[in-house]
Amino acid sequence: MRLSLLLSGLAALVVVLFGLSLLVGPAGFGIGQSLSALLGGEGEAVTLVMREIRLPRSILAVMVGVSLGLSGAALQGFLRNPLAEPGLIGVSSSAALGAVLALQTGFAASFALALPVSALVGASVSVMLLLVLAGPRGGSLTLILAGIAISALAGAFLSLVLNLSPNPFAVSEIVFWMLGSLSDRSFDHVTIALPVMLLGWVLLASLGRGLDALTLGQDAAESMGINLSQLRLRLVAGVAASVGAATAVAGAIGFVGLVVPHILRPFVGARPGALLPASALGGAAMVLAADIAVRLVLPDRDLKLGVLMAIVGAPLFLHLIYKTRRQMI
Amino acid sequence: MSALTVTDLTVHRGECPVVDRVSLSLTPGEVVGLIGPNGAGKTTLLRAILGLQSHIGQSDLAQMPRRERAKTVAWMPQTREIAWPVAVETLVLLGRVPHLAGGARPKPEDHAATAQALDNMGLTGFETRPATELSGGEQARVLIARVLAQDTPLILADEPIAGLDPAHQITTMQVFARLAAQGKTVLAALHDLGLAARHCTRLLLLDKGRLVADGAPKDVLTPEHLHSVFGIAAHLVETDHGLIFQPLELTR
Repeated sequence: MRLSLLLSGLAALVVVLFGLSLLVGPAGFGIGQSLSALLGGEGEAVTLVMREIRLPRSILAVMVGVSLGLSGAALQGFLRNPLAEPGLIGVSSSAALGAVLALQTGFAASFALALPVSALVGASVSVMLLLVLAGPRGGSLTLILAGIAISALAGAFLSLVLNLSPNPFAVSEIVFWMLGSLSDRSFDHVTIALPVMLLGWVLLASLGRGLDALTLGQDAAESMGINLSQLRLRLVAGVAASVGAATAVAGAIGFVGLVVPHILRPFVGARPGALLPASALGGAAMVLAADIAVRLVLPDRDLKLGVLMAIVGAPLFLHLIYKTRRQMI
Repeated sequence: MSALTVTDLTVHRGECPVVDRVSLSLTPGEVVGLIGPNGAGKTTLLRAILGLQSHIGQSDLAQMPRRERAKTVAWMPQTREIAWPVAVETLVLLGRVPHLAGGARPKPEDHAATAQALDNMGLTGFETRPATELSGGEQARVLIARVLAQDTPLILADEPIAGLDPAHQITTMQVFARLAAQGKTVLAALHDLGLAARHCTRLLLLDKGRLVADGAPKDVLTPEHLHSVFGIAAHLVETDHGLIFQPLELTR
């Protein structure tokens, strides 16, 4: 099977990048030293760095990548539009808004999952708003316009929180949420985000057949026994849970959900269902690679992951718009 | 035993009924043409029969559970949507979705039904081509093949032959006739009255949402109906080659 070959190739790539991600960092340990410290060390500095800083960072990169890649592929399949992407259409910034509000009001400290849940609520509101605004046909123009409106609104509220915040640290905090990064994360972030993300992944992974049928349009899919309203509900909940949790631990990272499905679509014969697992693995590989890159390109300037992704992703987005426009004429 | 029973089906858009108390019953073995001018309510009627449109009145299809309905009726919408550049064979195989329980993989019989459907529509050799790169007429044939692959006792199609070349229009109508001979039933909205007259066993004439005539083609395509519903006069003659219909001029 070509699909299983592709998936195992991508999985191997993720494993390799995961290993690289463990070995790259400002502390500059040797390979052997790093690995023996990770597996067998006890208490010395190398072990601490490996286990408490690099390992959670690499695990988070995989989790965030899977979430973003999967959400992008699912949203595109449902809206039948290659321009749909959680970051671009305001889902990530709404999740960031939810997270910032939770932090500012102190709600985030009330129980362990309060932060990801707030981000999740922000994300769900924006996905539902988007589906209402973009309409049942999900045309490119309405979708992008709705996305711009939601992004702008979420951005405005983020600025408002910043504006009214009495806390001088709020600025750097909000910059973090808007730019997105995986530096200085710990295992706490992994345990907070993982349950919510897993729920989202399960929901999104179950959409395959319905998304395949939607290739023929809503009417045809519904006549083939697909329950569209239930599908929409699972999509909204799945995207909100994965993107919400990803944003809660890593801030808003855009373009992963756009770039990854776009690159992988030709390899799965354009089937939306087959694109789901491929994009999940591809997303993990991309975020791992980007997170390695931010550590290598400007090691001492703390280049933000979201910034790098946008620099890579935005030109591709322009290219996609150009291609879509040509098809429409 | 009837293939489809519809009783007093009514669809309102605002105050105005776009489908007005339509009752009909189809029996296995019929190829039924649904005819009427633009805006007569053909698409709305078909969608209401399927339960895709909110309505008043009864349609036995609309009351079925989703999965059972998908195994009973295949629907070809008028909008010919192919969202992604998937291979022709993959697209036609989608017609087998209702027959695959849960996440089951397609079985040999699903591939056989797909190959049969492709063959019926003259698409052998197109299997691996991306469907979005085909011409409009070829895409229409792929979508008809998807409907055939679903292998249901009843087929509802909204203008299935619009945009096809004459050879493929005739092929499609002959495929419908062959399915009917196997005991299946086809209900298709058609605009080409010549093809409808020649290939349908029965015509339903819809005007402003009301069913104004229901019967054999020669009894439905009367000068009175053509004048009052379509505003045209036509030449209709029974020949050795079957019924021949040619529109001539406007009458209003």
